[in-house]
Amino acid sequence: MSIRVILIILLSFSKVVLADGVVVDKVYHPYVLPNEKEFEWRLMSRQTDNNTILGQRIAYGQSLSETVMIEGYLVGEKTEVEDFGLQAYEVEIRWMLTEQGELWADWGMLFEVEKMHKSNDWEVTTGVLFEKEFGRTSLTLNLFGIYEWGKNLQDEIEMEFRLKYRYRWLPQIQPAIEIYTGENYFGIGPAFMGIQRFDGQKQLKWEAGFITEVSNSGKDHTFRLALEYEF
Amino acid sequence: MVRRNHLFSPFWLVLMLLPFNLWAKTQEFTLTLENHVFTPSELKIPANEKVKLIIHNKDEVAEEFDSFDLNREKVLFPGKKTRIFIGPLPEGNYEYFGEYNPTTARGVIVVEVNNAD
Repeated sequence: MSIRVILIILLSFSKVVLADGVVVDKVYHPYVLPNEKEFEWRLMSRQTDNNTILGQRIAYGQSLSETVMIEGYLVGEKTEVEDFGLQAYEVEIRWMLTEQGELWADWGMLFEVEKMHKSNDWEVTTGVLFEKEFGRTSLTLNLFGIYEWGKNLQDEIEMEFRLKYRYRWLPQIQPAIEIYTGENYFGIGPAFMGIQRFDGQKQLKWEAGFITEVSNSGKDHTFRLALEYEF
Repeated sequence: MVRRNHLFSPFWLVLMLLPFNLWAKTQEFTLTLENHVFTPSELKIPANEKVKLIIHNKDEVAEEFDSFDLNREKVLFPGKKTRIFIGPLPEGNYEYFGEYNPTTARGVIVVEVNNAD
């Protein structure tokens, strides 16, 4: 099945859902390492003509087996109507389905459950994670189905799609192009990731990206930053 | 109102997970890790072919195979054989090391057009 066909299908779906959240976050790789533990911090700042939304996440994760990793998040946000504060809790499971390099491409799954801090509102996400190597470049795709419900949320199913095309130039500097679609949003922009190893399994990973929404007129830029310390 | 679509139907998921190289024969090559040293330290594999690397960790402690050149990172459990799929790769030298013993546990995969090993 052609990747181009998949992309066309996904991009067309991104136009039919309502906007009620932030799409730019992180493109997940479908890999899990056993014995891995990590702390993670993510920052997302979205600036439009009318307001600025700031989101931060802190997380702890560890692998449960050779193929499964669990991660717990505290999610904080500042919106146009609320000051920065704890907004939600989230539990995420990543499942590596195939051995890296064994098949034509590498596959994984992602499952998330999120509950709002101050209200009985919930969000459940199921995602397919894909990665394919092309020489020194890697194409990573994420497709998420999201179901929201609760006291303040209209029951709905949303689709989100994320893409990263990365050039593995140096361990510390791996430039990329990222695309995010969903919730009436289509964003694209430059990004990079890097890794610095220390003793043993200890390593620091970083990611940053500057994503611009291109399907609507007006200013809509998102800066994202992520740091992961693995040990 | 709940809106639904059919992108997550079992048909699509099964299709996406199909092993496209189901019938391909993958050559196997072996490395041994003993006393925190990989043997042979230089392993030749054919260019432009996917190969299966079997690494036997004979040590009593775990090691982590790491290679930015090969884009692989894999835990080698003590006393166990671990498989790592690499390639297809163009000609060249691809370095790797063990994260816990990076000074001794090092090696290089030499990718050649005419395979010697």
